[in-house]
Amino acid sequence: MVEKQDMYLNGKGITKIKTVASQKQMENYRDLDYYKDVVYQCGKCGTCRTAYHEHGWERVCPSGEYGKFEAYYLGGKNLLTWGLTSGKLNWSEKMVEIFYSCSLCHACIQQCQIPEIHNYAGEWLMAMREEAVKQGKAPMPEHKQYTEHIINGNNPYFEDHEDRLNWLPDGIKLDPKAEIAYFVGCTSSYREQGIARATAEILNVLNIKFQVLKDEHCCGSPVFMTGQTDDAIKIAETNVDTFKKAGIKKIITSCAGCYRMWKEVYPKKFKLDHGIEIVHLPEFLLNGNGRELINFKNEINIKLSYHDPCHLGRHMGMYETPRELLKKIPGIELVEMDRNRENAWCCGSGGGVRSAFKELSEFAAMERLKEAKNTGAEALVSSCPFCMNQFKSNNKDSEIKVFDLSELVRKAI
Amino acid sequence: MNNGVIIAELEKIVGDRYVSDDPEIQYLYHYDFISAEPEGKCDIAIIPGSAEEVLEIVKLANKYKIPVVPWVSGINFGSIATPRKGGLVIDLRRLNKVLEVNEDDMYAIVEGGITWADLKGYLDKHHPDLQAGITWSPPGTGVIPSCLCYGMFNLGMLGGTGAEFINGLEVVLGSGEMARIGSCSVNDYWYGRQPFPDLAGLFIGWEGTTGIVTKMAIKLWPKLPYRQDFLPITQTVEQGAPMMLKLSRVGLGIVDLLFINLGWAQSLLCLDQNEVAIDPVKLGLPDFYGVISTQAYSEKQHEAHCEAIADICKEYEMDAFPIDDQLESFPETMRGILGQMTPSTGGQAPVQFWGCWNFSRGGGGEWVGCYNTKRNIVKYYQLSREVCIKHGKVPQYYCRFMFGGHYVVTRTNINFNKNNPDEIANARQCLKEIHDSVQNLEGTVMYKPPLWAVNYYNEKMHPVTHGLIKKIKSMLDPNNIMNPGQGIEGEK
Repeated sequence: MVEKQDMYLNGKGITKIKTVASQKQMENYRDLDYYKDVVYQCGKCGTCRTAYHEHGWERVCPSGEYGKFEAYYLGGKNLLTWGLTSGKLNWSEKMVEIFYSCSLCHACIQQCQIPEIHNYAGEWLMAMREEAVKQGKAPMPEHKQYTEHIINGNNPYFEDHEDRLNWLPDGIKLDPKAEIAYFVGCTSSYREQGIARATAEILNVLNIKFQVLKDEHCCGSPVFMTGQTDDAIKIAETNVDTFKKAGIKKIITSCAGCYRMWKEVYPKKFKLDHGIEIVHLPEFLLNGNGRELINFKNEINIKLSYHDPCHLGRHMGMYETPRELLKKIPGIELVEMDRNRENAWCCGSGGGVRSAFKELSEFAAMERLKEAKNTGAEALVSSCPFCMNQFKSNNKDSEIKVFDLSELVRKAI
Repeated sequence: MNNGVIIAELEKIVGDRYVSDDPEIQYLYHYDFISAEPEGKCDIAIIPGSAEEVLEIVKLANKYKIPVVPWVSGINFGSIATPRKGGLVIDLRRLNKVLEVNEDDMYAIVEGGITWADLKGYLDKHHPDLQAGITWSPPGTGVIPSCLCYGMFNLGMLGGTGAEFINGLEVVLGSGEMARIGSCSVNDYWYGRQPFPDLAGLFIGWEGTTGIVTKMAIKLWPKLPYRQDFLPITQTVEQGAPMMLKLSRVGLGIVDLLFINLGWAQSLLCLDQNEVAIDPVKLGLPDFYGVISTQAYSEKQHEAHCEAIADICKEYEMDAFPIDDQLESFPETMRGILGQMTPSTGGQAPVQFWGCWNFSRGGGGEWVGCYNTKRNIVKYYQLSREVCIKHGKVPQYYCRFMFGGHYVVTRTNINFNKNNPDEIANARQCLKEIHDSVQNLEGTVMYKPPLWAVNYYNEKMHPVTHGLIKKIKSMLDPNNIMNPGQGIEGEK
């Protein structure tokens, strides 16, 4: 299992720019003021719109392709940031709409060859949201609504917390003393319960002792990604406290968003040094406990294409592990979409887009489904329940099946 | 201008999603965000989805006498798309398709807002044996504006400027009519402007002041199997230029021929202007970097070409090292985008040559770019270099030979911090002094001139010629709505 780490920025799936000597070394997770003197390096040249130097030069930015005006592409947002930080522009409803109608997928950032923009534009796009929240201009009303429920009811789906473990079938063996926990996440708990069941069954088949905590709360990603960092920190603190008290030393995730929150955002942005090892399901199966755990017995004869979830791929640098796992399943034929790995087209559900910008969200999802169909694949597979739920919701003519990786693995073991 | 009334009518044409006068939307069309030229004012931004919608917009603009400015990326280093008199900025980027490729006659018909990335991507996928001449502009910049403004392509020795690559046009006139120019005006073939009166000239070099091009046919060229790109280096431009002059007359399959000085090379290598010497020539650093691109149909032919090129370089005491070999001698961290530019290093155009505007890390760049006689190549550099150094600017010089060696482009770029008003002012002064200095060289004519240079040409121009330009402009744009304040007429 080889993730090409030397190709990517540390912990990320954005390529390193190796051919530029003078690159300003900056910190991540800082506020707008910190980045204001690098944003105007942007020349609005449009490089951020297409897969740079890739065959086909495909369009990569859902926000821009839907919004069309310059403002919705990264170049526009960079210069609006400059306008705001230099006092030429003020916060407005339109400014908020522009910055929030974006899933923060980072496909744009991957393309720009200016190191400070390539390495840090993601930071100031997030900083703009945080500033908007501080100014009382954001987030969008839909985000405020679900945040309130996350704070009071521990999930963004307006479901009861008491029902969080309803997905758990009777036959699943849990060990209340296990040091490994499966962090299910809200989408698998309440919407894509097949993923939760499949994951739990896989762990049982492999005789892995694990817990599922009834007091698991939302990881906080929908709150954090919409700039409500203070609230997100409180949610995170509760989760960390719960899991540490339960003696958990390793968390397995099946959701890319939860994975990123626990592995990167909690310790690095929120400064919650929880000390828990976080592994995503495919990496656990290929290298869990220091060895390959999985042994496939059943064939699944299907031609499929793998969609890279943004929070797993560009945000966390995991591209090859899910593919390696898929390729080990007998009968699977994996075909790639043109836009894959660091150039993957976002499904359109993250960053608060799905809640507040339904047309943009639909546009992005349908574009990706079309791309998958064009490969001749019978199925589109991902490793994120939010992506999967998004594709299923938009798969109107059902010409392509949509699976999560965990579901295929479960069928094959 | 009553935005509300106009917007209501524009929404009937394009839909409410594609019209805006929100300040945040307008802001990004006020100017190019690169040059040292003053901002203009976009009142309304509109993104049509078809040539017919462009036509309706221009009709409306005539009705209300509202300025219209056609726009693709808006960045052109001369600020010629900046809306000087307000009005509508017509962003053409929804018109971004390749409509047809005729492989026999080798042309592509493209829509008005297509970018280099769109075109290259399409050709890669569907017509890999054909190539377009492509500029060193970033991928998101427009193909058609580049052609109409005499852009320089990487097949410049073969085909001339971008204007010479134009086979035909569909254009919305300033009068609110639509015309077809070239063979496409009588049939569905767009193979050339001949044999008709060449009306394409009514729109080439006019900077959007006579019409909006909604479709264009551009020449494509076969992608021959053998190609090499050489990078000879020597101490001074004075030493290197004579070699290039000879190479410009020998054929040898040369499709692109240019040289740059150390300043431009440093920006290509993505160094930081603040960390390099202003006058590296004084330090004895090599200041001449040639680029010779040759292609051939057969291996024998290619070997012969390369041998002959190498021999010519040797005559002038230079080694014709291939670019990929030269690159090996640079540490990886100092290769910048040089390795991205040519096929022989695994690269391709378009490239994000960000050193053009961000060498200073301040996001500002502008040039004094001229078409020129080959007689001025060295003197132009000497004069502009002196001015740059006086202003504390690293001189960045570029000279490209065009169309079989019949003329050249000479260009001096400077970089500055666009967030610093003093630097912007210094940049403007430096550019003006460069211009004043090089304009004394007979044969120098600035292309894409910013406004402060336009009047100079108006005064110098043959009076009947200038009168003809004014008459044509009046005829094609009777209400003076097409990019007013720009183009050869400049400020009235």
